[in-house]
Amino acid sequence: MRSSRGWYPVSLSGGLDAGRSAGTRLFDKEFVIWRDADGAAHVWEDRCPHRGMRLSFGFVRGNHIACIYHGWQYDSNGHCQFIPSHPALSVPSSIRVATHPCVERLGIVWVYSDSNVTTPPELALDTGEVTSVRSLYIDRAPATVLDYLEPRSENVGADAVTLLSLDAEGQRLLVAVQPFGVEKTALHIVLPTKPNAHQAEARRAAALWAEDLRRHLEEETILTSEPTAPATYEAAP
Amino acid sequence: MTELTLYDYELDEHCYKVRLLLGVLAHPHNKVPVDVHPGREHRSTRYLRLNPLGTLPILTEGDAVLYGAEAILAYLARKYDAARAWLPDEPMTIGQVMQWLVFAVSDLRVASVARSHSLMGREADEAFIERAARHAFRHMDDHMTKCEFDGALWFVGRAPTIADIALFPAFALSRDFGVDHDEYPALRRWMARMRKIPGFVTMPGIPAYH
Repeated sequence: MRSSRGWYPVSLSGGLDAGRSAGTRLFDKEFVIWRDADGAAHVWEDRCPHRGMRLSFGFVRGNHIACIYHGWQYDSNGHCQFIPSHPALSVPSSIRVATHPCVERLGIVWVYSDSNVTTPPELALDTGEVTSVRSLYIDRAPATVLDYLEPRSENVGADAVTLLSLDAEGQRLLVAVQPFGVEKTALHIVLPTKPNAHQAEARRAAALWAEDLRRHLEEETILTSEPTAPATYEAAP
Repeated sequence: MTELTLYDYELDEHCYKVRLLLGVLAHPHNKVPVDVHPGREHRSTRYLRLNPLGTLPILTEGDAVLYGAEAILAYLARKYDAARAWLPDEPMTIGQVMQWLVFAVSDLRVASVARSHSLMGREADEAFIERAARHAFRHMDDHMTKCEFDGALWFVGRAPTIADIALFPAFALSRDFGVDHDEYPALRRWMARMRKIPGFVTMPGIPAYH
């Protein structure tokens, strides 16, 4: 999976509560994902323009995200609106974070790979209701994961979007593939059915399938040796 | 004046577990700061007589001495939590709490090693401890992911227990040793819930907000 311009999945919608932020990566580039108080999701470059601190370490207040380093606050368009050490300053509009187009479809947050694009191509995906299962992080290259999954599934994504539909544990799953980094792939897994009260078992079965898949792909190294450090857990050496 | 005394080092995540439980129980106690760094006071005769292993936290009450955070959590929960919420009586619940307490001092202990390696320069095999810490966090994230399907938001049962307290600082402080929270969405949500428990206390590296 080569880095190319397009829409990529970065999170399950349900996993990102209003007022929360999280970090993620696409092709090893760092992004912050956050949801404002009104429920809108945002995906930006994960850098405060002030000192380069990761904004995903920061915190959301209302419809702003603040850097944990010096508290610079950015509105939902990425413009810095407030600098605590200069409270009277009207912040120049040039101080802004690189933002990316972002939409939510099929219970998944999708980001467009180019920043500061005002009119990206439409993400041609169904808007149907789904039930989320989980995001799965696999310590393997996206190509390795796709080599395994593609022969076992149908790509129901449009254009360059990889959205796999497959049978697992006797049920249909949708799997969106996030090329996280050189040696890491994230899968965002949903059931293509409306949420209802009786889905705990179906979600659990899909989650167990996902754990098996990760174990298989990683041929998980069993940790056989004990940690090399001494047995006490003192705070100082 | 209470007899309960905690021998404490502010930067030690194991001492923090005890401070956190005492905080949510709002139980009065004396706190004696121990000059671990740079004083190595925890390795002085005075403290080695209390705990020959030379670790903190240490809890004393009258003549009784307890060391090891998990043992102290169990004692405090049984004695000072009248509601029996933090260490419930139901046998399987006790078994599950014990399972996670043992995990906290076995598989998860590499996180403490990684942190003191990173902050204090303690000797360690860096690649091994990072891999092992990530392996432990993944196990926790898989567990919490499945708990959430049943609407269960804590490691054991329907309410927070001392298992949550024993597991919390290793993950909350993992950025101290370079492990991001990106790959553990269920643990991020659990961490946010932990911060909302009435009586929650902070430590350096674990702010109240996020």
